[in-house]
Amino acid sequence: MIEAVGPIKRKFAPWDDPTLKPFIRFENVTKRFGDFTAVDNLTLDIYEREFFALLGPSGCGKTTLMRMLAGFEQPTEGRILLDGKDLSGIPPYKRPVNMMFQSYALFPHMTVEGNIAFGLKQEGMDTSNINTRVAEMLELVKLEKFAKRKPHQLSGGQRQRVALARSLAKRPKVLLLDEPLGALDKKLREETQFELMDIQMELGMTFLIVTHDQEEAMTVSDRIAVMNHGVIAQIGTASQIYEQPASRYVADFVGDINLIDGTVSAVEGGVATLHCAGVDATIVAEAGPGEVAVGAEAGFAIRPEKVQISLEAPPAGTPNVLSGEVWDIGYLGDISVYRVRLAGGSIVKATVANLTRIVERPITWEDKVYLTWPADAGVILLK
Amino acid sequence: MAERGTQEVRPFLAKWALVAVPYLWSLLFFLAPFLIIFKISLSQTAIAMPPYLPVIGSLGDLWTKLSDFTFDNYIFLTEDPLYYSAYLSSLRIAFVSTVLLLIVGYPIAYGMARAPKSLRNALVMAVILPFWTSFLIRVYAWIGILKPEGLITIALQALGILGPGEQIHVYNTETAVFIGIVYSYLPFMVLPLYAALEKLDATLLEAAADLGCPPTKSFWVITFPLSLPGVVAGCFLCFIPIVGEFVIPDLLGGSETLMIGKTLWAEFFNNRDWPVSSAVAVVLLIILVVPIVIFQNQQKKA
Amino acid sequence: MVRQRLLGAAALTVALATGAAAQEKVVNVYNWSDYIDESTLEDFTKETGIKVVYDVFDNQDIVETKMLAGGSGYDVVVITGSFLSRQIAAGVYQPLDKSKLPNLSNMWPEVMSRVAEYDPGNQYGIDYMWGTTGIGYNVEKIKAIMPDAPVNSWDMVFKPEVVSKFKDCGVQFLDASEELIPAALKYLGKNPDSKDAADIEEAGKLLASVKPYVQKFHSSEYINALANGDICVAVGYSGDILQARNRAAEAKNGVTINYVIPKEGANMWFDIMAIPKDAPNPDAAHAFMNFIMKPEVIAKSTNYVAYANGNLASQKFVDPAILSDASIYPDKETLANLFSITPYDAKAQRVLTRVWTSVKTGM
Repeated sequence: MIEAVGPIKRKFAPWDDPTLKPFIRFENVTKRFGDFTAVDNLTLDIYEREFFALLGPSGCGKTTLMRMLAGFEQPTEGRILLDGKDLSGIPPYKRPVNMMFQSYALFPHMTVEGNIAFGLKQEGMDTSNINTRVAEMLELVKLEKFAKRKPHQLSGGQRQRVALARSLAKRPKVLLLDEPLGALDKKLREETQFELMDIQMELGMTFLIVTHDQEEAMTVSDRIAVMNHGVIAQIGTASQIYEQPASRYVADFVGDINLIDGTVSAVEGGVATLHCAGVDATIVAEAGPGEVAVGAEAGFAIRPEKVQISLEAPPAGTPNVLSGEVWDIGYLGDISVYRVRLAGGSIVKATVANLTRIVERPITWEDKVYLTWPADAGVILLK
Repeated sequence: MAERGTQEVRPFLAKWALVAVPYLWSLLFFLAPFLIIFKISLSQTAIAMPPYLPVIGSLGDLWTKLSDFTFDNYIFLTEDPLYYSAYLSSLRIAFVSTVLLLIVGYPIAYGMARAPKSLRNALVMAVILPFWTSFLIRVYAWIGILKPEGLITIALQALGILGPGEQIHVYNTETAVFIGIVYSYLPFMVLPLYAALEKLDATLLEAAADLGCPPTKSFWVITFPLSLPGVVAGCFLCFIPIVGEFVIPDLLGGSETLMIGKTLWAEFFNNRDWPVSSAVAVVLLIILVVPIVIFQNQQKKA
Repeated sequence: MVRQRLLGAAALTVALATGAAAQEKVVNVYNWSDYIDESTLEDFTKETGIKVVYDVFDNQDIVETKMLAGGSGYDVVVITGSFLSRQIAAGVYQPLDKSKLPNLSNMWPEVMSRVAEYDPGNQYGIDYMWGTTGIGYNVEKIKAIMPDAPVNSWDMVFKPEVVSKFKDCGVQFLDASEELIPAALKYLGKNPDSKDAADIEEAGKLLASVKPYVQKFHSSEYINALANGDICVAVGYSGDILQARNRAAEAKNGVTINYVIPKEGANMWFDIMAIPKDAPNPDAAHAFMNFIMKPEVIAKSTNYVAYANGNLASQKFVDPAILSDASIYPDKETLANLFSITPYDAKAQRVLTRVWTSVKTGM
């Protein structure tokens, strides 16, 4: 699914408010395991009540970053501040953060209740308060009927909820979620994503989620940090990351992208002209970050759903036109993907929402088609 | 139809044969010997070959001689406090040994389970390795270590802890029996514990720490309870044979170490009283069956 | 005890396997370990063409269990008198065919008549060797601890004031009730062969009173312990203690062991050859026994193991050093003082074992 932009949830953008102090701060944090640098001189601010996602492929350092916050790993260099306090030297069991583990890590010898109450007991809370809190948590995750069961008597989805309830029970200042939905099937995953958002809003906590699933990250979070090889490739809201990827890596990692290579022939007021010899076309588009200058090797990046496909040639003089023939059509139910072969042999994808039945659609295999897009739909990124 | 019939019969037979083998095995090597011993325990001693009466030669005998069977031997066991004390003493020695084994074995198993993966197999081998030499030789070796002029005395004298004339007197005491038992049975304790601890998911401990539980406490609330199946298996694997242990107390223990294995030996070989010794054996079996049943229930639950 | 049991079982398997494989004439012999000059066996085969399958044991209780179970496969078994007597009653042995044993005329009437206590009329058995149960001690150590020690008396081990002095240098007793209880009875001035429960219990009390000074009750450990100087007093079998004496002498370790038959009297025991009822080769068994009764044959074994035999005619072939050693061949006066023990019936045996257990464990 390429439902590009997540819904605009609320007006909440503390990162734009210079008077606010970050709640969690990673300050020049480096973590090395032997020769391998998992996190490389990374600085990152997360604000209170934010739902923040760390997104990246496995091995990019996102989990290490989270484990350092939880206290399971110590930074090799740099420091981590929580609410202004340096966390170094504080063992995991004394940190006001709780984690929901990817494997859930439920205690198999304890009941659902016992698991949820575990953290509260460590706090020394009295029994009646524990019982109240456990009941609240069970209600929150809708598991009232399963209180006396052991983890092995639950389904995967139910276990996930127990794990969530357990990590929320202590009302931590920060909840860490390590690939929390990875083990669930797609449908359940989507439902749960929305529930997570509701819970986060209701409890008003700061959530930090680690995921390799860009859809999940975009759905749930206020901001996303895309990570690559221990550094942050881009931080931004879902739409910023999707619409204005800061690099080819981000563009490629988040969603589907068409990349058309060429040479910058002109730059003016943040708008660059790209001469694409391979496909015999000239593209004018917004210049991305970095030094997009005349003569630079760059690429035009555009999402497939922004590309319009047509049998009729646009009026002469229209900028940003590519022509080719329909090479392949992929029918995905809600949308169809047209793979169009350009003059030089490269392929550009265009997706079209299936508003009408496909048999009524006139474009078919080997038709000569024209591809166009709005002026602000794509971005020119350096190689 | 006929062909179909045979096709159905064959797997049926094969299935039964598969089930029958273990049953036959138990029947032949457990139930039959037990019944023989039980039968002897209801007999009376006689100066004869074999040294008891009645001797059942055929099924017909069984009926005619039925009235010759008595429970006198079992009653006899209750009349002399010797047997009662021997059982109790065996259970006590087995219990103390098992606790010692657990105390010694748990840290070893824990260390093995927490060792780097590449080392673990080597550590398991190190635990099993002594088994490749004869059990008797290893117990005899302990005599050489523990005896008053043995290696421990020599070592302690060399270190100056003992004066030249002083010796340690451990050999022929109950302490030596405990040392010998703990040494000999250690693998039976360590291996099931290791199997249980190795399976333990390390993230559970992280989860516990994350929820505010310090490491020492999480050992008792997470690690130990989850290793319980291993603890139970190890304890039973040790406890049951130790109750009937004969060799180690005979070789390392003093004359006053009273154990049921020795008592049984004396009944059988010194008194030549096969019926009473059979009764001792049957009672021992009953005493041991109780923990075995508990053990099996525990296994079912796990 | 255990080691011996295992050895015995292994040896039996071997014996039975070889016995079954051989089609030629065979005799299966079961004897105490280290109790024969092995060349005797080859000599027998040379003379008669009968192959000997020779199997050994260290513990008679196990032999008895095997014999009572039946089907042992042995042709000749060597067993101590009191055991023989009980096994005869159980029907384990067959009467000897004396027409096949012309060498019976070589036997020692004194020994024959004593053996007849176990085997009336000498119907089932012939004495192989005999010995006594007395005291072995470390000469130097005893002299150092107690120069006036009553070394020729049971006082050495049964008088608490005396034996307590030897506690630290080590005292061991045989783990054999049928040896120690009669000795204690004799020391108490009672009939050593008494089967009376009260007598046995009284002997038990005496033994219990010296038990704190006894390091261990064991039937073979004392041989090495004496020879190495690890202990200084042992109640044991004459031959074993003499063996310890020889080992110490060979080792030149400064240990001198002496064996004494206490002046109060000591148990005289007999190891007797007999033929099981179900012996597979009874003729070969008779031939073997007749061969052993040849004076020069049995003398050879006596010279080898340092035990007296029951063959009077053999004495001229016995090494004079052995024949003149009063601890092996006692003089007439000592001989008169030796007693023998008849078998215990089941009831008395139970009292004996029970008293013995209570001596050892305090239970």
